[in-house]
Parts: sequence; C-alpha cells; structure tokens
Amino acid sequence: MKITALYIHIPFCDHKCIYCDFYSIITSDNILNFKSALKKEIEYFSNIYSDNRNYSSIFFGGGTPSLMQPEYLQEIIIHLKNNFNVDDKAEITMETNPGTVNKNKLKSFKEAGINRISIGIQSFDENELKFLTRIHDKQSAIQTVYNAAEVGFENISIDLIFNLPNQTKEKWIENLKTATALPIKHISTYSLILERGTILNKLVLDGKVTMQDDDYDADLYEAAIDFLLSKGFYQYEVSNFTKPGFECTHNNAYWRYRDYLGLGPSAHSFMNNKRWWNFSSLKKYIAEIELHGHAIMNSEHITKNQMHDEYIMLALRSSGLDLIDYNKRFNNNWINKNNDYFNLLKKENLITIENNWIKLTSKGYAVCDEILKNIL
Amino acid sequence: MNNIRNFCIIAHIDHGKSTIADCLLETTGVVSKREAKDQILDDLELERERGITIKSHAIQMHFRAKDKKDYVLNLIDTPGHVDFTYEVSRSLAACEGAVLVVDAAQGVEAQTISNLYLAIDAGLEILPVINKIDLPSAEVDKVSHQIIDLLGCKKEDIILVSAKAKIGIDELLEDIVLKIPPPAGDPNAPLQALIFDSVFDPYRGAIAYIRVFQGTIKTNDKLKFFKIHKDSEAEEVGILGLKRIKTNELSAGDVGYLIAGVKDVHDTKVGDTLTHVKNGAAEPLPGYKDVKPMVYSGLYPTDADDFEDLRDALDKFRLNDSALIYQPETSAALGFGFRCGFLGLLHMEIVQERLLREYGQSIITTLPNVEYYVYTKKGEKIVVDNPAEMPALGNIDYIEEPYMKAQIVTPSEYVGNIMKIAMDKRGTYINTTYIDRTRADLQFEFPLSEIIFDFYDKLKSATRGYASFDYEYIGYRKSDLVKLDILLNGEPVDALSMIVHRSKSFDWGKKVSSKLKDLIPRQMFEISIQAAIGTKVISKSVVKALRKNVLAKCYGGDITRKRKLLEKQKEGKKRMKQVGNVEIPQEAFLAVLQIDE
Repeated sequence: MKITALYIHIPFCDHKCIYCDFYSIITSDNILNFKSALKKEIEYFSNIYSDNRNYSSIFFGGGTPSLMQPEYLQEIIIHLKNNFNVDDKAEITMETNPGTVNKNKLKSFKEAGINRISIGIQSFDENELKFLTRIHDKQSAIQTVYNAAEVGFENISIDLIFNLPNQTKEKWIENLKTATALPIKHISTYSLILERGTILNKLVLDGKVTMQDDDYDADLYEAAIDFLLSKGFYQYEVSNFTKPGFECTHNNAYWRYRDYLGLGPSAHSFMNNKRWWNFSSLKKYIAEIELHGHAIMNSEHITKNQMHDEYIMLALRSSGLDLIDYNKRFNNNWINKNNDYFNLLKKENLITIENNWIKLTSKGYAVCDEILKNIL
Repeated sequence: MNNIRNFCIIAHIDHGKSTIADCLLETTGVVSKREAKDQILDDLELERERGITIKSHAIQMHFRAKDKKDYVLNLIDTPGHVDFTYEVSRSLAACEGAVLVVDAAQGVEAQTISNLYLAIDAGLEILPVINKIDLPSAEVDKVSHQIIDLLGCKKEDIILVSAKAKIGIDELLEDIVLKIPPPAGDPNAPLQALIFDSVFDPYRGAIAYIRVFQGTIKTNDKLKFFKIHKDSEAEEVGILGLKRIKTNELSAGDVGYLIAGVKDVHDTKVGDTLTHVKNGAAEPLPGYKDVKPMVYSGLYPTDADDFEDLRDALDKFRLNDSALIYQPETSAALGFGFRCGFLGLLHMEIVQERLLREYGQSIITTLPNVEYYVYTKKGEKIVVDNPAEMPALGNIDYIEEPYMKAQIVTPSEYVGNIMKIAMDKRGTYINTTYIDRTRADLQFEFPLSEIIFDFYDKLKSATRGYASFDYEYIGYRKSDLVKLDILLNGEPVDALSMIVHRSKSFDWGKKVSSKLKDLIPRQMFEISIQAAIGTKVISKSVVKALRKNVLAKCYGGDITRKRKLLEKQKEGKKRMKQVGNVEIPQEAFLAVLQIDE
C-alpha cells in the first residue's frame, strides 16, 4: 500500500493579504461551479490512482477554506472518501482564518469530518495585524483557538509570522507567549519573506517599507526556537514545532518524499516520480476540467539527480536524513564524499549524526540552504 | 613599380582613421556603398564594438589620377590603441608614406605625436590631414597651426577632409600619388620580403602579409625564413583586395600575402625576412624589435576540470595573436592555470573577452603585474612575473621595475591636476612643451606598474576627458618594492599577492582587505582577512559567519520551485573559487582594480 496525501486548494478569500503569494480570488462567483469541477477532478484521478494506495491525509489549503460553508467541505470529503481509499484515521486539516468562523461554524466543521485545524493568526499585535492586512484582531484570534478547543478539536495548530518591519524582539516573544498559553499542539513560525507579485514586495521596492536584515532575522529565529523548546515543543522542520505526537502527517508527506495528489487550481502533485501542477486561474481550471477531466498546466519527470537532491533537501530541512533509507534508494558514495564536511558541521554544532541519521540542529536549520549548496 | 604607393594611416584614437579608410575604399570602387559596413578593415566583432582596430590589415586599391595614369595604392591599416604600438611600427615598415589624421575638433593628441614620431623614424613621407572639418565644433585654423608647429609643413600641405561628408577624398588620393614616393627596389635582385603581419586561417594555416622590397616571389618558389630557419614552399601568393586574390607573383614594391603551408603563425614570425633557398639574399631586412609583453597575469579556469579546454583555447587563440605569450603555472589557491603576458591592460581584457566569447572559456584573472628584476643577496638576478614567486624578504638585495616615458597632451588648465596624479603615481616630471597657447605636452617618467592600473581613468576624470596619453618603455630602475600578501583564515592566498611600493603598502593593505571584506560573501564560517608584508600583519578585517540562509516556507507541494532555487544557488557557488574552506568570488581576484585611491 502506497501512502499518499491529498491536497485540496480552495481558492476563495475575503481579501488578499499584502504578503501572500498563494493563488486566491476575492469574488464568490463560481463557488458552486468550482465544487462540481473539483468533484469531476476527483473522479478523474480516482480512476488512475485508487488502487493499492492508502490516503493518509487530506489538507484543505487556500485561499481561505474556512470561508466555505461546512456542508460544502463535507460534500467534498464524502466525495473523496467515495473515490479514494482514505484511511479511517486520516488527518483532515482545514486552514482557518479567525475572522471567518464562530463557535457554531467550527462545531459544524468538526462534524463535517475536519479533525485538525490550522489557524492563520500570524500575530497577536493589533498594529502588526493591520500591517499584514489581516481581517481579524487579537481578541478574535484568541477566541477562535478557544472555540476550536471547546467544540472538540484536539489537534490545533497556529501560524505566526516574524521579522515584520520594526518588530522588536520583545514584541515577537510576546506573540509567542500569548500563543503558547493557548490550547494548541502545533505552531508554524514563518519569517516574513518577500514574494514576487505581492503588494508587500512593491512597497519594499518603492521604499515605503524597509525589511530588517538577515542577522536580525536570525536573532528572532533563534529566540523563537529557544522559547518554544522551553515550552515543551520540539522542532521537526525549519518552520514547524509541535508537542509530541502532533506532527503534521500531511506536511510530513511532502518532506519525506511521499506521493501526494493536489486538486484544485494551482495545486501541485507528486505521484510515481512525476510532478505536475494545475492552472492557477479558477476559470481556466473549471474550463479545463470540463474539457479533459483534469487541469494540468505543466509537468516534469524528475531525473535521478534531481530526485537525489530533492530527497536530501527535503529530509534535511525536516526531521533529518535517514542514511539507511538513503542507501536503499540511492546506491552511491555521496555520503563518503561529504564525510569531511559533515564532520566539520558536526564539530560546529550544525548537525548531529546519530544512529544513521543526520539531523540539523537549531543552528543548522537557520543555514539549511547554505549547507545544501555545499553538499549537493 | 612607379605606379605603386604603399601607405598607412596614423591617428589618435577616434580621430576617424577607419572612416577615412572606408571612404578611400569606396571612392576607388573596392567596395560599393551598399557593401560598406562601417569600418571595413576591422573584421573582428570586438573591434567593431569597441571602435578600435586591434589587428592591422592591408588592402589594395586602384586609382586613376589626374595625370591619366593608373596607380596601385596599398593601404596598410594600423591599430589605434597605445597597447598595440608595436603593431603600428610593423605596419610602418611596409610603407613609404603615412597619412596623419587629426580631428578638426580635438586637435593634436598624444598618440598623434607618438605615431608621428614612429613614422618619421621609419623615414616615411607624412601627409597631414584634418578630418571632420564639417563638424560645428571644428577649429580648422587652430588645428592647422598645431600641425604646422609639429611638422614644420606649410598650411597648403594640409588636406582638409570630412570622411563622413566625402569632402577632400579626391584631393587626398591625388596627394598620395603625388607626394608619397614610389617604392624603390629591383625585381631581379635576390628576394627580400618583410612579413609585417600574419593571420591564421583554419583551412590554409598561417597567412603571412608581406611587403617585397627586393626581387620577385612566385608560386612554388622554395623559400627560407631568416629567423626561424625553416624552409618552405610558396603554395600561393597574391594581393589583398576585399578578399585574397591569387596572382602567382609579387615583386619589389608589392604588398600581398603568402601561404606557405605553415601551420603556426609563430613560424611566420612578424618582422622576419623571407628569401629564396637558392640565390637568396645574404642579409635580412632590418627587422623591428620583438614584441615584448608588458603586463602579466594568471588565467585560471573557473572550473578546475576545464584546464585542458583552456589550454586548447589559448593554443588556438595564439595562432592569431602573436603578442600573447603564456606558460602553465600552478597556484595553491587556484590550481592549474597559465601565466600570460600581454601588451597592456586593454590587450588583457580583449584576450579574456575573446576567450569567453569565441571559445566559451570562463576564467579567473589574477591581478595584473609587470615583470620585476629581483637581485638577491647572493648576487643572482631573478625575473619575477608572478608575485607568488617573489623570493623571501630577507634574501632580496634590491628590486628593479620597468619605467616608461609618458607623454600627456592636455589643455593647459589641467596641468595642475595632472601634476597631482603624477605625484600619486610615483611619476617624475621631465619637461613641458606647448603645442599652442592652450595645449601643453607634458613629459613624465612613470613606473609601468602605476600606469597599468587606473591611471588612464584618473587622467580622464581629472581633465574632463580632454587629456590624451601615450607611453613607451625606457628601461628598468631600482625601486623600494615589497610583496603584500593576503591571508584568509591565516593561510596566504598566493593568487591575491601583489607587489607594491613600500610607501603605499600600508594604505593598500588596508584598502585591499576592506575591499575583500565587501566582495567575499558571508559563509558558513567566519573568515578573517589579513594583509601582511612578510610576517608583519598590517591590517585585518572579518567576514562574519552567515547566520541565516533558509527558505521559511516549503509546503503546498511546490518542490519544483524550491529545487530550482537550490540549483540557482549551486550555480552561484560554481562561479566561486574554493580556497580551503573559503569561497572566493571571481571578482575578488581583481579587487585591487576596484579600489578608489
């Protein structure tokens, strides 16, 4: 049985945040057309990939999936279960915007089958939230977490962004304190990155916003790691921390080089060593599904070298490189070739090598790409 | 022979030499206007781009003069940049006359004077021409006076031309016929032919451009070269039109080409004399000085695996550029490469650019330097063209470096500024003469090492671009020089060493280490940069360890993008040179050139 993850991209948003580069649209036109297209896409791929696979997670990303009515997602979940061999214990995550859900709605989502909720809080500071153009405030963010816990969500994750312009270290730690006081099991902390095509990028290019430098970014990152470790979280990926037992099954599929099937506009898939991605435009997506049953814009076959590099890149940035699994997959002398460098990294406390696992330390995660550049 | 005229055109850069040449070719019908690409004689792509002639060429024209006779005019083109002065002198040796072109707006410049002196030394008849007389800024009277002062000619001897507007071209052609003497020589005497240039043709081998002074050369003749001591056979001889035209015979006075089955241009040595194996001439023609490289630098493949490719490229390149010399060398930092000798910085840049463009070679160039004579306490003389080879400080008695006589022509208001630059550059003032009331001709002596860096740029900016500059080698002189080493993490990097004057060493050390600090990107580990003379560290800076380089977000499944980012970073790393644990970007090896004094 091949373990496989399912990703569903819900492209609708209330509005576009200045830093976001994910595909989303702010009109609610086509909500129903999207659902029927998505169902057709599910059927199309279930004909190809239903055999001998165990679908271990479903992830509703966006966009803002929580903007949808619970029945809407329920219909999709049921359709997925009817068409794919979804594991009974599958992790089913929904990205949630605090401004879009009250307690009742959360309860309904729970009943619809969602069992993990990832709340895009980003900050507990009113000024920072305004800067990020989020639609919620501190109070509704906190309330949403409590509401989710009260309606029975055990597996609650939140997102926070750091290294905002002018963000002090004290303010960042304040955010983390507020977060860890809440009933959450998992936290993702992202350093604010400039993505092409975002409003934030334009503001920076125009000189209206100044980003803080990399050293300061490193300071905040280290502070976050230290703080979260002290609160009983452990780091299992560059930006992800969890209480024991609550690692995100779905994201682990990406990082452990498992297959995943992405559905909806702009979704990416990786099945049987082939990658493809869908058209981003919702209209184009719907039209393509009507025509072909799928909406693949482009695809690539991964060469052996690319596979090798991707595997290492993903392993090192998450829970580490399993040398036994590595040797099973790739029979070469790459590890020997880099042995001196690994020992140097170990000496500098950037990696640990134990029980045939090479794992980045917290200090190592911060320079993960630099390390990869030197070993690949 | 009386109807032949062999001439060249000499001018300061940009005074319109190539435009006049094109105009002559068009007027005499060698090329139609439609065929006339700009600058017909400059056929290297790079020459057209930079608007300079690097290699000299020759071309034959036919002209019916007012006396109703037909004349053969051989134009021998000359390069325009000071780096290529030696090519000017070799072209001059093949001529009886020179057209001296002066820009009507710019007036007499340094190269006008230096090229003129070369032509006078070669015994050529000089035809002064003022070009660009149609420009609004033309000052024909003023420039005429400058020329009269310089040449001692009469005003009516000067031909007024606008090559662009086709003014004065017929007069110029008439004067070439009237004033330049026909070649002397005896077609029946033993053969003496001068090789004044040679080019490499991938199909035919070396093609020698020759001027026959005595005797006659025919196809199938058995030939010998005086210098190379190799015999060969004349496979093909002919004249040079827009293309080569086979004639089977060239005799005294003629300019043409010879293909003699020689594979290597170095066997058709420029300046060598050709004669017949049987009944040959006893003596060669007076040659001219061998080309001597002035500037040396290390060329290394960016990727060490490309060493053999670089060697192949240089071997091929050399076939067409007899001025380039190179030999393999090893650097602890850069691995296997070549120490190359160039005529000057421009020549170095051109070689590097052509290696990249025509041969796809990505190379790291080390800091250029001159050739030093090091006298040891044991009384040995060591020739050092690579700072890494400098003997240890304690073993050196004294060092000599090459000096140049420099000529700077400038509007007189900038004399003060130039004096200041000269002082900074360790120049010795010799003399000033005035070309006219507003223009001074200053003479200095400089160490060549001071000229090869940013001298020209400094001169241009201190004189708003009005000063012009030329120089020639005068000999070696004793100087108080020291070797400045750069240490990265305590290890000297040989490719970053340089030789500087003691008075400047402290300042340079500080500037170089701080420049390197800017150029070397932050890396996994801290990098200490030290500048040292012998064991004495004179400055220190630090590149702090990189603290963050990781993409925060890696989900949504778009691994392709992440992988491409990584591939891009890897590409960037490939362009760096790994020395120990430090990655050095290519431009760091030329860091000194970017320092603003």
